[in-house]
Amino acid sequence: MDYVVAVLAPQLLHGLVFGAALGLLALGLTVIFGLLGVMNFAHGELYMLGAYAGIAVIGWTHSFWAALVAAPLAVGLIGAVTEVATLRPMYRREPLYGLILTFGLALVFREGVRQIWGGDMRRILPPFTGSTPILGMTYPDYRLFLLAASSALLLAIWLFFTRTRAGIVVRAAVQDAEMLDGLGVDVRRVFTLTFAGSAALAALAGLLLAPVFTVYPQMGVEMILLAFIVVILGGMGSMGGSVVAAFVIGVAQSLFSLWMNPQRVAIAIFGIMIVVLIVRPRGFFGREGVLE
Amino acid sequence: MARDGVVLEVEAVSKSFGALAALTDVSLAVREGEVFSVIGPNGAGKSTLFNVVSGLYAPSAGRVRLHGREITGLAPEAINRLGVAKTFQITNVFPEISVGENVRVAAQSRARESGRLASLWRRSDVDARVGELLGPFGLAAKRDELAENLAHGEQRYLEICLALATEPTLLLLDEPTAGMTPGETKDATRLIREVARRRGLTLLLIEHDMSVVMGISDRVAVLHFGEKIAEGPPDAIRNDPKVIEAYLGGGED
Amino acid sequence: MSRVVTWRAALVFAVLAALPGVPGISQYSLLLAFDALLFGAIAMSLDLLIGYTGLVSFGHAAFYGLGAYATAIVLERGVLSLWACLGAAVLVVGAYALVVSYFATARRGIYFALLTLIFAEVVYTFFRYTQTFGGSDGIQGLPDARLWPGAAIDTPLRKYYLVLTYLALAYAVCRLVVTSHFGRVLVAIRENEDRARFLGYSVQRYKMAICMISALLTGLAGAIYPMRSAFATPDLMLWTESGEFIISVMIGGLGTLVGPVIGGAFFTILRDKVSSYVDWYFIVIGVVLIVIVLFMPRGLLGFRRLLGFKQWRATA
Repeated sequence: MDYVVAVLAPQLLHGLVFGAALGLLALGLTVIFGLLGVMNFAHGELYMLGAYAGIAVIGWTHSFWAALVAAPLAVGLIGAVTEVATLRPMYRREPLYGLILTFGLALVFREGVRQIWGGDMRRILPPFTGSTPILGMTYPDYRLFLLAASSALLLAIWLFFTRTRAGIVVRAAVQDAEMLDGLGVDVRRVFTLTFAGSAALAALAGLLLAPVFTVYPQMGVEMILLAFIVVILGGMGSMGGSVVAAFVIGVAQSLFSLWMNPQRVAIAIFGIMIVVLIVRPRGFFGREGVLE
Repeated sequence: MARDGVVLEVEAVSKSFGALAALTDVSLAVREGEVFSVIGPNGAGKSTLFNVVSGLYAPSAGRVRLHGREITGLAPEAINRLGVAKTFQITNVFPEISVGENVRVAAQSRARESGRLASLWRRSDVDARVGELLGPFGLAAKRDELAENLAHGEQRYLEICLALATEPTLLLLDEPTAGMTPGETKDATRLIREVARRRGLTLLLIEHDMSVVMGISDRVAVLHFGEKIAEGPPDAIRNDPKVIEAYLGGGED
Repeated sequence: MSRVVTWRAALVFAVLAALPGVPGISQYSLLLAFDALLFGAIAMSLDLLIGYTGLVSFGHAAFYGLGAYATAIVLERGVLSLWACLGAAVLVVGAYALVVSYFATARRGIYFALLTLIFAEVVYTFFRYTQTFGGSDGIQGLPDARLWPGAAIDTPLRKYYLVLTYLALAYAVCRLVVTSHFGRVLVAIRENEDRARFLGYSVQRYKMAICMISALLTGLAGAIYPMRSAFATPDLMLWTESGEFIISVMIGGLGTLVGPVIGGAFFTILRDKVSSYVDWYFIVIGVVLIVIVLFMPRGLLGFRRLLGFKQWRATA
């Protein structure tokens, strides 16, 4: 029982937080792909940029909270500029060009960061330390904050997509991009805002999680690979599916880390993906229809 | 083994997407050589019915039989090989290759080496067949044009050529005259009827244009909110009070 | 001319065969030429997937690396026969490619890119952290392979001819496939995957087949690599390596066979000259990719992208 409380439960909670971050990334991927038709290989780098932008802001202001506001905005801006400058010309072309383009973008972002900040691991200190006894275990306060913040974030996103007009439109357009034409909206602006928005969210996730993990240029790569697995399992047309799959993978990752070294964890997650693909080739909530 | 010359049998087919019931308990039987039209207001489920028959969706309930053989839930390519070809409501050709090449790749799917190892090095000559298919639709002159450069009406014809190239016995036409001018529509209707008769095809048609439906069909079925509300020869349908109400009462045409 | 080779291609191969005879050609240049041709062969086989079928493989380096390890393991055990190495590579890469292609082709094209990447990452992780295969150092100090006892492939000249022969055969295979019934269907799949299914084509089967052909060709190239380098390391399977293959194809232009070969050779030579600037190297690659996609989708070298079947005969 002690084991469950002292080790398993905290790891489970940690998995939920990690799953929430993964969910943010996977949602971003799904929305961008559904709306813009581009699989954003650079999404992990946007997550990573959030952490490094945070490092920069903290360097100037010594305030984590200032960074929490400024970093996502900065990365959102980077996202907007990137979308206008490089992605816009891609929409009328075949999807494979967009893939290769974002792959190139990922390289540039990642290596650019390495040039500026160096390749060593860095730390962002949590804005507050201390822990609280909960349900018989001692849980770091910052992690509790993360739990609350990620829940709030996911709730806000859910409300956005189900209760606001903009959100409902975007959600419908993710399923069927052509419907936007008939609505009289400025499609290009919607695309840019959507891309910038998902970039900002990815950056926020990166910064929030930074005090818990270390910060290094490759951190986005590992996240994006997991996000891809989430998207494969959740089915590209389903936003809800992405979130569910994200939590499953997040918790699995977290729990497996208790018992295996990182390489085995990776292979185990991969194994889960294979098993699901065999049993349900379309993923958890994949849309029916040819080749989904 | 066909029963009483019935080519297609749709038996109590229902299809739901989550909470949305697109089709509810729809049954119909299409006889050999006839032209059978399916009509109904927007959202009635006509395209869903086609998608179930052609294999895009598996029905939530019910069965589909072709020449007496069960095809429920088979993959689209399998159903096509059994003799069902479909055209798309929104033109769905191979845009960046020529018209001739479009039809060639469609015709090739019936070549001997198709789907086998030999296709890696063999290449049958289907040029003659391509010419035969393009001719009746007036596309022979446009053989070397890129498909995406064709006029709308010509693209609709190309759609049909592609479907015909796979040598079907049953042809599903999803609004073949969509977007055509009245003059084009008349020509198209005549052409379709002629080609179908010459090849001994059975036609299952979705149409919105009543003149086409009345002029060409042997029998008509009417769908409304996913249910079949009437079936019979065109004249009977035209005067059926339920049908009139469905069109006037809520759906647009 | 036959469907297997054009006059132009035959001429090019003749020139390449005569290359070692050029006065002033050093051993170093010959080995560089080896790398260039090998890379070109890989880029050509990758273009079967990207340019002809519209499937982007982000995990091609795994096929390459697995082929290299197959050779390394065979040579390490003292079995020096070239044929044993190639045979081992075919088995190993074939088995892996079968699994990958099955899962990667089951759904829409985009999943192909994701799944090839994920599979390659797993393979990389496995070899990097498994000590039996040498871990991060890989397998080093390999002996030279031989055609038959007494005919060792030990000089740069022989190695060069080995890769040239491989390139010629790979080219012939690619050309045959691409001008056949199969090749036409690939283009149809690229243009409109869904429509091809409704015309009766088992699209997954075709995709799997071309994926395996491309994988095996790349795997055989990988099998030849250790015969020049005398080692096989996990780095051969890095996704950055896959990126370099892709950039080679993009440089040369999608949808032709010769384009990627030249693109791969060009890239190899460029990389050799620029290798001192290792730090900036990846940024340059990224920028080049972006620039090519945005402004020169026909490839840096301007090879015409295959537009229609008309160009079968014109395409070398």
